[in-house]
Amino acid sequence: MAFQTRRKYCFFKENNITAVDYKDVKLLKRFTNDNGKIMPRRVTGTSAKMHRKVVSAIKRARTIGLMPFVDSGSE
Amino acid sequence: MRYYELIYIVSSNVERKKNDQTMKEVGEKIQETGSKIINHIVWGKKKLAYPIKNNTYGTYILAHYEGGDNDKLREFDSWLKLSDLAIRHMIVKLDGKPDIVESLEEDKSENDTVEKGEDKSPDEKNLKKEKNKDEENKEAE
Repeated sequence: MAFQTRRKYCFFKENNITAVDYKDVKLLKRFTNDNGKIMPRRVTGTSAKMHRKVVSAIKRARTIGLMPFVDSGSE
Repeated sequence: MRYYELIYIVSSNVERKKNDQTMKEVGEKIQETGSKIINHIVWGKKKLAYPIKNNTYGTYILAHYEGGDNDKLREFDSWLKLSDLAIRHMIVKLDGKPDIVESLEEDKSENDTVEKGEDKSPDEKNLKKEKNKDEENKEAE
């Protein structure tokens, strides 16, 4: 019985996406946990370049009310 | 030239006619700054992730424009903040010239992301479909 190793990969490199739009909530939700927190790079496996873009996009989406700052899950 | 994207939320309690009026008013204000409007469209009514000024729903309106006078644009930003037209707004600088968009549909963009996520599967599906068709044709013969 060996541990199955899960390969980490950059989602954007795999799918040839170069730009991240803050309006694309469905994409950005991949990079937040259930509480709405941004997940670290070591978990998602995103490249540093794209992670910076993801972070700024999520923060923009938060200010305009598309994504939650804190998702308590009450709604 | 600099290109900007303005997104603002109008309270969903406001009637549609008034929506058009606010769009007109904002559009005129943008043009006063010497900017050129490229797009000005309604994105749609959405549920807000958190209540903004006691609103749980809001109508998102999107505008793209080519930057004009800088000082006047700053004035426009503060004017929109002080006015009661929008409950929240945000102006973002774009990297390049935006495409002309006639309508933004939520369903479309969602489908696009799904397709991006499954690059390989559609081909497989198509292959399966073709195989099925071949079989059907044979049966018909």
